Amino acid sequence: MTRVQGTVNKPVMVDRRAFLKMAGAGWAATLAPRAAFALSQADAVFASAFMAPDGSYGIATLDDRGGIIERVPLPARAHGMTFSPASGLGVAFARRPGTYALIFSPRRAVSPIVITARPERHFYGHGCFSADGRLLYATENDFVGQRGMVGVYDATDGFARIGEFPTYGVGPHDMTLSADGGTLVIANGGIETHPDFGRTKLNLDHMQPSLVLVDTATGGLIEQHVMPENLRQLSTRHVDIDADGKIWFACQYEGPRNDLPPLAGSFSRGEDVRFLSLPEEATVALANYVGAIAVNRQDGLVGLTSPKGGACITVEGRTGNVISTQRLADAAGIAAASHGFVTSSYGGQLGETQSAVAWDQHIVRLA
Amino acid sequence: MRPVVVSLLSLAIALGAAGPAPAQEGAALSPRALNEQALPAVMEKAVDAFIRPGYGRLAKATQALSEATHVLCEKPSEAALGEVQLAFDGVVRHWSTIEIVRVGPVIEGNRFERFLFYPDRKSTGLKQVQAILVKEDETATSVMTIRGKSVAVQGLGALEYVLYGTGAKSLSGQKSGFRCRYGAAIADNLRAVASELSDEWEKPDGIQAAWKNPGPGNPVFRDNKEAATALLGILVHGVETVKDQRLRPFYAGAVAGKIDPGHPKLAIYWRSGNTMPSITADFQALQSLFSVSGMQDLLPADSRSVAGSVNFVFNSVISASKAVDLPIAAALADDEQRRKLDFIALNTQDLLDRLDRDFGGAIGLGSGFSFSDGD
Repeated sequence: MTRVQGTVNKPVMVDRRAFLKMAGAGWAATLAPRAAFALSQADAVFASAFMAPDGSYGIATLDDRGGIIERVPLPARAHGMTFSPASGLGVAFARRPGTYALIFSPRRAVSPIVITARPERHFYGHGCFSADGRLLYATENDFVGQRGMVGVYDATDGFARIGEFPTYGVGPHDMTLSADGGTLVIANGGIETHPDFGRTKLNLDHMQPSLVLVDTATGGLIEQHVMPENLRQLSTRHVDIDADGKIWFACQYEGPRNDLPPLAGSFSRGEDVRFLSLPEEATVALANYVGAIAVNRQDGLVGLTSPKGGACITVEGRTGNVISTQRLADAAGIAAASHGFVTSSYGGQLGETQSAVAWDQHIVRLA
Repeated sequence: MRPVVVSLLSLAIALGAAGPAPAQEGAALSPRALNEQALPAVMEKAVDAFIRPGYGRLAKATQALSEATHVLCEKPSEAALGEVQLAFDGVVRHWSTIEIVRVGPVIEGNRFERFLFYPDRKSTGLKQVQAILVKEDETATSVMTIRGKSVAVQGLGALEYVLYGTGAKSLSGQKSGFRCRYGAAIADNLRAVASELSDEWEKPDGIQAAWKNPGPGNPVFRDNKEAATALLGILVHGVETVKDQRLRPFYAGAVAGKIDPGHPKLAIYWRSGNTMPSITADFQALQSLFSVSGMQDLLPADSRSVAGSVNFVFNSVISASKAVDLPIAAALADDEQRRKLDFIALNTQDLLDRLDRDFGGAIGLGSGFSFSDGD
């Protein structure tokens, strides 16, 4: 994992004039000393969304021990986050069916900006940057057409929305980019929702989960993997990619609670999906609900967390063997650390630090 | 889309200027554990004293509605129409009570949507109902065939239009008219769905057993915490639903300093004047489940006051809902009535926080127990 480079002197990729105009002179006056001050702070290594004890929401940047460096308040609850080493910018996406995404610079090279979903779309909580950091891709819901979309935003033009293409599925959630930048990997959870009905799942008895690869150049479908008939209620929700380019995915099962379905798996481009065969006690520990997945590419490890089961399970990617099973009440996020993983909990634990916040479901690595 | 700056962000900078937050934050949210011993009795009371009687009463109310509708078709009169409308009000009241349960059999086979399709923002459902009436589509006059049609033409919304919409007056004059027979088929359909729901919950080894006995091998809840989460989930999601799906469609409150004139024709059951009675019934049902299940027994001794606060807010929003007693269009045009709607909107958010954060946290479900619900 490379460290953030050159973000401070890099040309700001936001229409600053428009931004300052909207933000007002009072705001601008606070910027200069604050920005200077921020530079003296420890480097941020992770970021995560949180809920404060008073019920307000925000995102925090964190040092390598999980201590909070800085907080930015948010207007509503956020969910997934992404970061571009190329531009030094991070994004927090509103929790579905949210309508905003906040772009921030952990090094304060640019001021935070908020984009809103277009009227007939909402965000699904995840997204990623193009390899060069010039485009931001967001999973979105075309709720009238009842199909998943990828919204494309231009980071060089104030994050103007410049286009979209389908996710070739329903209810897209997490999305990541292949190492060569040419392919988007999208988890279509298969669950239909509509903002009129809040977070209500509208089609649990006819779900259509799938994993798809989409060409970033054309928006065209490269591959689509649907879940087998007996696992139609296995919602594919989160993805990561290992050092060999193999895609790892994690699921949430909407079927009977006493079933023991596979909850994670992997596939390489052009190959069939292979489910991870976990020992029964590990499957039970994950409680049919994996909330987050992360790959430590250097160590060749895959980490899975389950808030419902209160567990964190680490698997060796090459063999699929369980390396460790840890109890972690209300386990939330997981991200690759220098070695192994850093995890967080709704109870406020993140890495070695206990903070007075409830961490949300995901941690993003910034450096 | 151009970036929009949220004013809070300027606050972020201002707050940040005061200095960085320390890496080691203060005390953790106080660790609480679920009272595992008290939970089974709570689940049992929720099922036996709220859910089963709720579906039972709905089944009876729909039976009465179905019978009254058939009488109207056979012997149409003003009085017979009045009886049907009264029976309709009764079904709305009992449905609004049990509709807070959005888990289990009601979300299988589209039963919820077949009973109530709402909101119908683009009037898709209304247009389908009007088309059936204009074309006199005979396949809409039998309970066997109506269930195969769009969910929007076979539930409460469709029946309300039949009973109160344009042309409803013909119901009291024409024997076995198409409109009446369509209405009777909808009423029969509601009766069938309600009876299925009640039957499912009455099976001794069915869902009620699963709710009462969490544990390994249970198809719904593998442990007490999952069960407690689902039960509190009914309350939290119920309040959220009233706020977002019942109030907001017709009244958004003050937006950016401007008062929303409201959209009375988007209000649920506006034709039959059941908008606020239904919302009142929703709140009463939520409070009733909270009380009769004895959920407060799950609170540790030092936090019993949380239940008192929850009940205080419940009482406030119920009184305010009852006080909005003009037809919804008139209520929206009346300053005093609109202020009551503002009060309800504000207090439902407070209620949500108290249930989700305060109560959920205190009974050991963590802060904001609803975090892990499918993301």
